[in-house]
Amino acid sequence: MSNISNISNMSNISRTNKLWSKFGDQFLMITEDQRKVLEDPQTLGNIAPGYRRKMAVKMAAMSPIERSQLLEFSLKFRGRHLAITLAKIMLVLTLCGLAVALLFPQRGLVESIAYANVMGLVLVAWMVTTYFKLSQLYGKTMHLVMLNVFGYMLGHVIGLILGGWGTGWTFQESIEKKWMEIVISGCVIGLFLSVPAALMGAIRHRHYKQYTAKLERDAQEHRAARELSESRLRLLHAQIEPHFLFNTLGAVQQLAEKGAPEAARLTAILIAFLRASMAEMRSETVSLNADFALIKAYLDVMKARLGTRLDYTLDLPDSLAHVTMPSMMLLTLVENAIKHGIEPSLRGGHIKVTGSMQDACVALTVSDTGPGLGSKPGAGEGLANVRARLTLLYGAAGTLSVADGAEDGVVATIMLPLTKESQ
Amino acid sequence: MNTTILIAEDEPLMRERLLEMLAAAWPEARVVMVAENGNDAWDGFLEHEPQVVFLDIRMPGLSGLEVAQRIGKLAHVIFVTAYDQYAVDAFDAGAVDYLLKPVQAERLDKALARLRQRLAAPPPDLGELLRHLKASMPRQPAPEKLKWIKATVGKQIRLIDVGDVLFFQSDTKYTRVVLADSEALVKIPLKDLLGGLDPERFWQIHRGTVVNVTAVAAVERIDAERMEVIVRGCTERLPVSRSFTHLFRD
Repeated sequence: MSNISNISNMSNISRTNKLWSKFGDQFLMITEDQRKVLEDPQTLGNIAPGYRRKMAVKMAAMSPIERSQLLEFSLKFRGRHLAITLAKIMLVLTLCGLAVALLFPQRGLVESIAYANVMGLVLVAWMVTTYFKLSQLYGKTMHLVMLNVFGYMLGHVIGLILGGWGTGWTFQESIEKKWMEIVISGCVIGLFLSVPAALMGAIRHRHYKQYTAKLERDAQEHRAARELSESRLRLLHAQIEPHFLFNTLGAVQQLAEKGAPEAARLTAILIAFLRASMAEMRSETVSLNADFALIKAYLDVMKARLGTRLDYTLDLPDSLAHVTMPSMMLLTLVENAIKHGIEPSLRGGHIKVTGSMQDACVALTVSDTGPGLGSKPGAGEGLANVRARLTLLYGAAGTLSVADGAEDGVVATIMLPLTKESQ
Repeated sequence: MNTTILIAEDEPLMRERLLEMLAAAWPEARVVMVAENGNDAWDGFLEHEPQVVFLDIRMPGLSGLEVAQRIGKLAHVIFVTAYDQYAVDAFDAGAVDYLLKPVQAERLDKALARLRQRLAAPPPDLGELLRHLKASMPRQPAPEKLKWIKATVGKQIRLIDVGDVLFFQSDTKYTRVVLADSEALVKIPLKDLLGGLDPERFWQIHRGTVVNVTAVAAVERIDAERMEVIVRGCTERLPVSRSFTHLFRD
């Protein structure tokens, strides 16, 4: 028996809670699914089309900081808590109205209290919305100003209705006698009070913009730094990659033991490669001249090891010699050409590296005569890193494409915009 | 009789180095073949049947591990690698001998001393270890299996579904592709076609012959060492070489 009453009690409580939170949600006009949108804009699709969806779309368009602040606010002021807060505000406003009635007795007690409440609540709502840039949710600022003006007029009218009892006038009489006053004071007070709120909104909006722009910039710099250090790590890895290092040293050792003069030459090439790669590792950009020298050293080392299985041609027009490009990128493509084009191929093959002008862009192409992409298009190592760096540095203008060659092998092309700094 | 050796290594200087060091460390041994890639290594193995095989792990064509898998228990294998941590760990655990490149004289001497002791016994079976190793090796691009074979017949290029082939037969630099109703000549040596064929379906029964298992009607024993495969719908009989008779024994 007592169990049952407990249960009904509990359901009563939860029903009351639900009622409160429904009220709060209605007031703030933020529902549970919209809160989810604030948390994760991806969930936008879950909301049924309509007014709520339109608001949610605007919420999703807010910056992450704005979203998190609005979410925090909406979570704090909802349900019972919201009602209590509103009651407190109304209590303060009622006291204000009382004070006004005491100062200006001719206004009437009820009219003053109603007037103070309506004005105050509208002002609070105004402040909250501008603070959270909720104006965006409604539409244009003008819209809100009109609402403000209308709000004061409405407050006035309500004040008149309630105050009617004091003066003995009927509602019609009140309107007839006071309509000019309602319109003028509504417009004046409404507009006057709109100014500070709008100002506040504007300042806050600008502050937000600066702040988010700074965050965006920081994130961008972080990404760029991360990709650059990944490139460095890759190059470092390429230098001490065991197969590269041990096979090359083995080749040097073999030549030296034979007393072959090539031993000294291969050592010199290896030194040139290591030196050039360290210089590239230290800088973000490199002249094409220097980049091609690095690639030549790398390919010479590989040629000493692979013998007749590797052939290569480098073609860089003099006009592009001093154009700069992001460091270590071309080497990644050449390494891929060796690893996927030459090494697995029974008869070896040919690698061609060319630089050329195409419209206003510099095109850098690495092609091989290997087995082609097969079933793993674009899966070469380091390509994601190259792509990410190009995008960070040049946006959509810097691209990397990897495709099967016309006859055989793979063609990888980097396109760079020819900017003033790069010349 | 001198011990016979096959060396498979794709880099010329490394090849030369191993060859010279072997000659110095073990002058009595006879290097019967030096292969530059995995396909040649396997073909050379079938041709020369050496007792010892030095296999570079990374080679064009069949990898060293794949060649070793095919060799099975037919020879002693010593792997050569610059650095394949997975493989080296597995070799250490499985008591498989290996050399790190560049090969140093002391290490080679040790490996050869151990090898000489083992030569008297039959080679160990590395099958399990290699299967496990191939599965755990990172970035091992699985060789793509052939679906179609392009064959030039007169002025036409015929596309042959690999599944329709009864058997492949080596014809020096060409490969004879025999189907139920016709045949064609392909300009790829059989040893280079092998890697693209599904080993479950296409069995190599001879250095120069690969047969589609589903087309085999019977296997006939000629004497203690020799067998012949009879292919369904075909009058030709295909000899099974000694290295492959184990495929048909229970």
